[in-house]
Amino acid sequence: MANEKETLIKIDEVGKWYEDVQALDGISMEIDRKDVVVICGPSGCGKSTLLRCINGLEEFEEGDVIVDGVSVREVRGTKNIYKLRSKIGMVFQHFELYPHLTALENVTLAPKKVFNMSKKEARQKGMELLERVGIPEQADQKPGELSGGQQQRVGIARAIAMDPQTIMFDEPTSALDPEMIRDVLEVMADLAKEGLTMIVVTHEMGFAKEVADEIAFMENGNIVEHNDVETFFKNPESERAKEFVDRVLVHI
Amino acid sequence: MGLDLSVIARNSNVLWGGFLTTLKLFGIAFAGGLPLGILLGLGRLSSKKWIYYPVSAYINFIRNVPLLMVVFWIYFALPIVTGHNIGRLPSAVIAFIVFEATYFGEIIRAGFQSVKKGEMQAAYSTGLTYTQVTRYILIPIGLRRVIPSLMTQTIVIFQDTSLAYVIGLREFVRASTVVNAREVRSLEIFGFVALVYLVICLAGSTISNRLEEEGE
Repeated sequence: MANEKETLIKIDEVGKWYEDVQALDGISMEIDRKDVVVICGPSGCGKSTLLRCINGLEEFEEGDVIVDGVSVREVRGTKNIYKLRSKIGMVFQHFELYPHLTALENVTLAPKKVFNMSKKEARQKGMELLERVGIPEQADQKPGELSGGQQQRVGIARAIAMDPQTIMFDEPTSALDPEMIRDVLEVMADLAKEGLTMIVVTHEMGFAKEVADEIAFMENGNIVEHNDVETFFKNPESERAKEFVDRVLVHI
Repeated sequence: MGLDLSVIARNSNVLWGGFLTTLKLFGIAFAGGLPLGILLGLGRLSSKKWIYYPVSAYINFIRNVPLLMVVFWIYFALPIVTGHNIGRLPSAVIAFIVFEATYFGEIIRAGFQSVKKGEMQAAYSTGLTYTQVTRYILIPIGLRRVIPSLMTQTIVIFQDTSLAYVIGLREFVRASTVVNAREVRSLEIFGFVALVYLVICLAGSTISNRLEEEGE
């Protein structure tokens, strides 16, 4: 992007505990508008927790997250948290589609209820979104009748239905069969081109290399290294990231 | 000992009247008990202590006393406290709603607990409010999961309504005893009444089983 860099999300020394286990250890990170940031690292390092702290799905004990000038700590427990969340779409590892609604209704529920969009308008918008993710013909199917890859594409359509500035992906392809992974990654790459800010927790280093602007490597609830993609893969600063890159590059 | 089935036809007016009262009692108890049960189910899962504790106390209390006792309280004891006698049908209706809602509540709580946390989080992540997530995600998904159990409990309510007999409400069973007192045809009359309950409850449980199979 030729534009000036502008911080959209600022994670400021966020600390979080589950009982007496520390999930996030005073983590800090800045994400620029329209950037695609991949977060990787071993399981249990706090990646998913970090995403859930950004949109206030999880509470944190220390620090703050500022999203487009709004403090998550301040709006938490008020109505404004809903507004903040509607600007950040989220895609889940296990899709988490609403099982009682059709693919189309999964996508249109939030626009209908939050924006009071009319049925007709919502349907039209929902169909456009399903076309964008490549499965308009599945609009009237329930999630149980769809393949994993199709479900995740509905999940992505649902996440962008509120026209969010940011979209967060929590291991979007980890639960998919290998042949479906590429379909989903392609949809994600298309979104990146359209100028959405993306935070992607994933182990797909091929995707990271091709699509991401920056990579953050997490371990034990903190960021070990946060760099632009090229530097991260060619010339990582930390020993730990070096080790990681050496091991994953074999697979790309 | 010959059977005289014409006794049913001769007294069809009284029996029909009693049956309608039973239906009315059942209908209102169900229509009131289910929404109250949903609220109780939500209350049991509330993180707010001032909601959780009173709701739990209420449910545990009512579920550990006989329905007959609740009917007596509302009909005999409540007027002494309030100074107003509200009559048989309203007393019975209130007693059944108060009682059955706790059973519905516990079934519905289990249904709510079966809703995946991730589905709720997904709904929240799109910007829906607590009320919207409850209404459009938690309640529809949770209720669907427990429809067979709710059906079974609904059949139990239908049978339970016969207990209104004890406060003199002329529901189906009471009406049949009135007829029997005059005709002294216990075999035919009570046989007929049992048959009616049997047919209705059997139909109910057949539907319930179907739903269960479909659900799987």
